[in-house]
Amino acid sequence: MRDSSPAAQNDTIVTWDPRVPLLIDIQDVLKIFKSAVKTVHALDHISFEVHEGDFVSLVGPSGCGKSTLLKIISGLLPATSGKVSVNGKAVDAPLDNVGMVFQSPVLLKWKTVIGNVMLPVEFARLEKPPYLEKARSLLRLVGLEGFEEMYPHELSGGMQQRVSLCRALVTDPEILLMDEPFGALDAMTRDELDLELLRIWDGKRKTVLFVTHNIQEAVFLSDTVIVMSPRPGRVIRKLGIDLPRPRAMEMMSAGKFGEYTLQIRAMLASSSGTPGAAVGSTT
Amino acid sequence: MKFSVKNVAEPLIFFVALLALWEVLVEFFRVPAFILPPPGDLYVAFTAKFYILYKHAMVTFIEAVGGFTLSFILGVAFAVGVVYSRHLQNTIYPLIVILYAMPKSAFAPLMVIWIGYGLYSKIAIAFLVAFFPIVVNTVVGLKEVEPELLDLARINKGSEFDIFRKIRLPNSLPYMFAGIKVAIVLSVTGAIVAEFVAANEGLGYLILQANYSLDTALALVILLILAFLSLALFIGVEVLQRKLAPWSAEVRQIEGSF
Ligand SMILES: Nc1ncnc2c1ncn2[C@@H]1O[C@H](COP(=O)(O)OP(=O)(O)O)[C@@H](O)[C@H]1O
Ligand SMILES: [Mg+2]
Repeated sequence: MRDSSPAAQNDTIVTWDPRVPLLIDIQDVLKIFKSAVKTVHALDHISFEVHEGDFVSLVGPSGCGKSTLLKIISGLLPATSGKVSVNGKAVDAPLDNVGMVFQSPVLLKWKTVIGNVMLPVEFARLEKPPYLEKARSLLRLVGLEGFEEMYPHELSGGMQQRVSLCRALVTDPEILLMDEPFGALDAMTRDELDLELLRIWDGKRKTVLFVTHNIQEAVFLSDTVIVMSPRPGRVIRKLGIDLPRPRAMEMMSAGKFGEYTLQIRAMLASSSGTPGAAVGSTT
Repeated sequence: MKFSVKNVAEPLIFFVALLALWEVLVEFFRVPAFILPPPGDLYVAFTAKFYILYKHAMVTFIEAVGGFTLSFILGVAFAVGVVYSRHLQNTIYPLIVILYAMPKSAFAPLMVIWIGYGLYSKIAIAFLVAFFPIVVNTVVGLKEVEPELLDLARINKGSEFDIFRKIRLPNSLPYMFAGIKVAIVLSVTGAIVAEFVAANEGLGYLILQANYSLDTALALVILLILAFLSLALFIGVEVLQRKLAPWSAEVRQIEGSF
């Protein structure tokens, strides 16, 4: 690590505008999966905060508990100990103000695009007509106008993931939880969707918690990148990303961007203890 | 299965050639008619005994479809029960698995004792052989749901009934149909075997009669009718599947399991 780099100076010094309220507060969260066969210590004393409108990414090796953490935050899974609160209220049941996007689109094969986007509305038993309007405008926003009546298998992987994003947004949740949402897509489609996501985030002022194992993607998208250690997952560093917005692909080649990615790569490598993994950071 | 001119013409030509070869070889080697009659004899038997064949075919059809219908209703209900009730899964399911391992047609003589000589003992056997493929496939289809979908439902406070209706049931349809296709063909076999054991009507009974009188042509005609009957039922299911679950093609199914 080169301590003189601008990125290093920014390291862990995440300064908040005091006027921006705290939205997600995670304190000392521990998660242990116990079964008859074995015990898995998944998360180890995780603490961080997410403020309204933040774009926060979680990076860490596979199996370090990122998905588990998202589930705990959404109330789908209880923490073994520690505290998670959203909007000042302790989370003890599934939240209804979150939208979720997963690594695979998980669309219903028997429903049309619009039917899939409307699924949360159906489950929540909300009144349909206004949301149908909303669903259509979201699809328009991601460039899927005219595809409303098509079935998932008629769409490409990138288009399916766009539908999945619309489904997460249709009930207008405050928080968007995204678990490696573009990880299964090719690099070009992923870039496209990253830009689209930023555009939507910018327009709708959502709070996004974004899991990825792509370091560049994390830096490109986020205000803060939270770097996690191998299992049991701990927070190694909270790295504020001080790059101007709106972000553009060209920034990826700028010096500061590279510093950030090198720094994160080095942290991940040193925490995993595999010297080979650190190669990228020495260049 | 795709139907096109080439797909139909090729097997048709092959089939006609096979019949011609059969006729020629039987003539050439002077094979006795009770061992292998020429195809012409089959045609004669078919036209001469058409009404009798029709009457007995109807009996077998009713037995098979009756048994199948019963297995469908009870099989799907039982599958839903097993998926939702741990108690059912722990108690009746193992019993069902043991039953599954038995050759169902071996129950035919017992069924005569238990339910009698007539239609119902045949329906019972057709039911028994058709029940398992439907249960096994439907259970898999109901369970094999992406866990993320269930998370989505929970986040939006979807009810358990909604999850069943909007996710599990449609998800199970392609699997259910895979089971149904196996079951409907098996139910015909079940009905025939039951008729072999004890009956005074139906195509199984008629095959035995033809055998006693060394009427091999008639026996072969009945076999062909059975093939067409099974095939017609199978295609009927296939058509229904395309109507009710057109997305089946996108689903990797477990067929078999009989
Ligand atoms: N329901 C569960 N029961 C037992 N172990 C689990 C369960 N869910 C996750 N784990 C374990 O917890 C660890 C973290 O998993 P996960 O959160 O999926 O990691 P990540 O998303 O970072 O790859 C893994 O070792 C995984 O096997
Ligand atoms: Mg994961």
